[in-house]
Amino acid sequence: MKPVDFELHRPATTAEAVALLAEHAPEAKVLAGGQSLLPLLNFRLARPEHLVDLGRIAALAELRRTRDELVVGAMVRQARAERSPAVAADAPLLAAAFPNIAHPPIRNRGTVGGSLAHADPAAELPAVARALDAVLVAAGPAGRREIAARDFFQANLMTVLEADELLVEIRFPRAAPGTGASFQEVGRRSGDFALVGVAAQVTVRDGVVEEARVCVTGVAPTPHRAAEAEEPLTGRPLTEARLAAAADALRAAIDPSGDLHAPGEYRRDVAGTLAVRAVAQAHRRATEHAAAAA
Amino acid sequence: MTETEFRWVSKPGRVREDRRFVSGRGRYVADITPPGTLHVALVTSPHAHARITGIDAAEALEMDGVVAVLTGAELAKETEPLKQYLNVPQVQWRPLAAGETRYAGEWVAAVVAESRAVAEDGAERVFVDYEPLPLVLDPEEAAEDGSPLVHPDHGTNVMAHREFRWGDVDGDRARAAGTTRVRSRWNRNSTVPLETFGVVARWDRGRDLLDVWASIQMPQFPEQLARSLRLPTNQVRVHFDVDVGGSYGVKRGIKHGVLAAHLSRMLDAPVKLIEDRAENMHGGDFHGPDRLFEVELAYTADGEFTSIRIDVLDDEGAYPGRSPLQLAKPIGAIVGPYRIPSVEYNATAVVTNKTGQVAVRGFGQSPTNYAIEAAVDAVARDLGMDRMELRRRNFIRPEEFPYRIPSGTEYDSGDYPAVLDKAVALADLPALEARRDELRAGGRLAGIGVAACLEPGGGNAIFENIMNPSNDKTTFPEACRLRVDGEGAVTVVIALSSSGQSHDTMVATLVGEELGRDPAGIAVVRADSLTGMPSQSPVGSRMTIVLGQAIRGAGDELKDKMRAIAAHNLGVGPDEVDYDGGDVAVRADPARRLAWAEIAAIAHRKQHLMPPGVQPGLEVVHAAHTPRSGALAQPDGTVQVYPCYSFEVHLVLAALDPGTGKVELDRYYIAHDCGTVINPDVVRGMVYGGTAHGIGVALYEQFAYSPEGQPLTQSFMDYLLPSAHEVPTIVDTEHCTPSPYTTLGQKGVGEAGYMGAPAAVAGAVNDALTAAGAPPVHSLPIKPGDVWAALRAARDDHRGDK
Repeated sequence: MKPVDFELHRPATTAEAVALLAEHAPEAKVLAGGQSLLPLLNFRLARPEHLVDLGRIAALAELRRTRDELVVGAMVRQARAERSPAVAADAPLLAAAFPNIAHPPIRNRGTVGGSLAHADPAAELPAVARALDAVLVAAGPAGRREIAARDFFQANLMTVLEADELLVEIRFPRAAPGTGASFQEVGRRSGDFALVGVAAQVTVRDGVVEEARVCVTGVAPTPHRAAEAEEPLTGRPLTEARLAAAADALRAAIDPSGDLHAPGEYRRDVAGTLAVRAVAQAHRRATEHAAAAA
Repeated sequence: MTETEFRWVSKPGRVREDRRFVSGRGRYVADITPPGTLHVALVTSPHAHARITGIDAAEALEMDGVVAVLTGAELAKETEPLKQYLNVPQVQWRPLAAGETRYAGEWVAAVVAESRAVAEDGAERVFVDYEPLPLVLDPEEAAEDGSPLVHPDHGTNVMAHREFRWGDVDGDRARAAGTTRVRSRWNRNSTVPLETFGVVARWDRGRDLLDVWASIQMPQFPEQLARSLRLPTNQVRVHFDVDVGGSYGVKRGIKHGVLAAHLSRMLDAPVKLIEDRAENMHGGDFHGPDRLFEVELAYTADGEFTSIRIDVLDDEGAYPGRSPLQLAKPIGAIVGPYRIPSVEYNATAVVTNKTGQVAVRGFGQSPTNYAIEAAVDAVARDLGMDRMELRRRNFIRPEEFPYRIPSGTEYDSGDYPAVLDKAVALADLPALEARRDELRAGGRLAGIGVAACLEPGGGNAIFENIMNPSNDKTTFPEACRLRVDGEGAVTVVIALSSSGQSHDTMVATLVGEELGRDPAGIAVVRADSLTGMPSQSPVGSRMTIVLGQAIRGAGDELKDKMRAIAAHNLGVGPDEVDYDGGDVAVRADPARRLAWAEIAAIAHRKQHLMPPGVQPGLEVVHAAHTPRSGALAQPDGTVQVYPCYSFEVHLVLAALDPGTGKVELDRYYIAHDCGTVINPDVVRGMVYGGTAHGIGVALYEQFAYSPEGQPLTQSFMDYLLPSAHEVPTIVDTEHCTPSPYTTLGQKGVGEAGYMGAPAAVAGAVNDALTAAGAPPVHSLPIKPGDVWAALRAARDDHRGDK
């Protein structure tokens, strides 16, 4: 479990990093927090000749808010975002997701951008980005481009990022008043990759669900944005019957595969169960939030 | 003897090993790198069963830093196969597969290089041609005629099959009012230490001496190395002053040792082989029992057990080695803590295309305990009887000890009802039931598990004789050297390596107690295998018992010598003086005495004060047999297996999420009896650690294979050890029924917790499931998907009824 020999680069700016990628692509990999990449290197499942470490690029570690958006630099550590009041206020779903990611030592090193660029379909942050319709900003030799989350994730561990591109920041829309969120997942153990997980965010106004966002991990090669579950919930008050209908619609829309840890049928059924719990909790929080704002 | 009679034994006392481990000052085999050391990486088989038709190492040998590549065929010419404990001459187990590879991950060639990283680079450049062969993975299929054969020359996959009947099975079944049968599955797991196996071997050509430092816990390791390497045993020196980073049976590493030693001899350089996690998990030959049980209990209408039948099929993996013996050890506790007058025991060991099994904590006892307890719970369900009441009704009663079970072993001592009472009181059972009901009211499923299990201690090796009568080994001794130097300082020399059992603390405490000297001042050091005394290594919960016996003997001999010296100087006969906490005093006039330091000084420096004919110095070596060993098994398999029987009762409350099937352990209580406790913290550590291990077996740990025989458990991402999140607070209490057969009443504790936890946790889950109308799950580990499937089956049944 020793990595194949590689050269380590430690650029100080995004421009330097992009130049290094342009020079060495496709034989280069970007190193963010290293929580997935380093094991892959040690298992020799990843064999890059060059590693471009983003750890010294201060501009990538910025966390700021604009009028409409919460902007999270790709190198913001998960633990820092988890403790950020801005994240809690503007992106409650993101805040709800963090405690589910592995263990504190991993979140101390792991980055928001690293998890998104790694694109593990069982991971939490890709589901959050997809649920919130985040915008992912990439930098490459031709400059910057904005990518919608729906377009970003291509397949298991695959994104639209080119070999010479770098994820630099993620823009999350700021939550409207009356918004609540919940992240529900089940794993074999605490901190394991979830067997299945559900991200839900609900906005209520006057007792009516104005908007419901539901995204599921671990049931498809990319995060499954559950439009079929959102639709029966939207524009009306939440009832148990509607929740059940949403869960059944979700179960009907997915066809997860099984593995050593759980069969596909389990994942299908439990996705619905967790969706009910997540939406109900998000709705409760949204209602509380709306009441507090009123 | 009660514990108040002891000065140091049973008293809270510092565990002296803790300081070096907690402060990072342990010395493990990975820390040992003699100058010029070369490093090994393995080329492993991608096929579960294949003929090796060619190996091309040319590219690897051209790489900078690669020193040598060794193939299995080359190694086979220079070494003997590794030891088998059954008479299976056609089954040849070797460090590197020769001719055929029999499981995916098996080592096929070794690459030696100047660093481990370069060795791994080289291993990628060794190209092996394979011709795939038919494979078998399922143990039941492997046992059938016509199955693909793992070792075709042996003619069958069945390596051992023994049928035993003890007592009046037919009569006892005839008088039963009912029977309950449970098939249960203990899937493949192991003890999986953080430290993989490692070895450093250095052949000294100038001295004709092989030095070995290894992460070892194995009886006869030096002898087996010598035999495979075709060396005289007195040319192999295994060093025991190496810390072992966890074992509980699995740190055998004989194939690693033979390979590294041969490479050192071949290359005239020290050679280091530290398995990485993949080499360890896929090819380390260290997996544990992988068993299918069918247990049938017969009982009267009142729930009195009359007979038990246990059929067990064990999947040994490709190379059986010592593992089939793990089917025989449980014969010594085959009825658990229960009065069951007759037993039928049918044990079968088969080989499959998986990595081999080795000894694991309890040597087959914990799976057997689980199977028995699952059947006891099922009887309670069938009779509609309280599970604790059923156990109480069948417990061997305290006044019946020593109690001979039908298979020939006599349990030494115990008070099972008292220990159960203690567990019930500790848990405050009514409060525990209230907590269960509260969980249920909150929408969760909840259940209480109970397990009452034995831990045989004082391991001998008589199971070798039971499984293979041609093996007539009847002793499994331990020894110590006790020396008092000219300044009066006490040093104890032992000849074994420790893997976390705190032997330094145990030995110093026992020697201190024997001599009446403060253990804090007693040094404990390790000899090597050539300068040391007989030892079988700390397996089978045996060191306090057998080494304790040796310490008693050494202490007595030392005291005899001190009395002789003192009596000579006090002008009285040796039988007119008493040893008194280090001094020797005249019995009739205790004021006349010789102090410890004076006696030591005389023994070492003052020939003119020594009695004639007494050797100078104060040093004794004493070796002891295992208590109660010495007899061969009778033809029907009856024999005294281990001498001592510890006992534990677990009470556990499990909460299940009905939506996800996830199990959480809400409360955990243990009452435990290992006779006289030597050090309370060490005993508690064993109970806690063993319980965590058992929780892993019950809910998380499994080495799984794909239908093609590929290992699905690739790393600790998939082999799920329970963490602090999964192990609840364990509340424990001790009970003490001293063993009459040991020096201070001590029994074994190295397998504590693990003996009962799998049964108790499974029992709690099944109590929750059956209370909800779902069927019990009788396969470990119980995964969320299993609970979910059981609940779904119940729901579907219910719908079907309508």
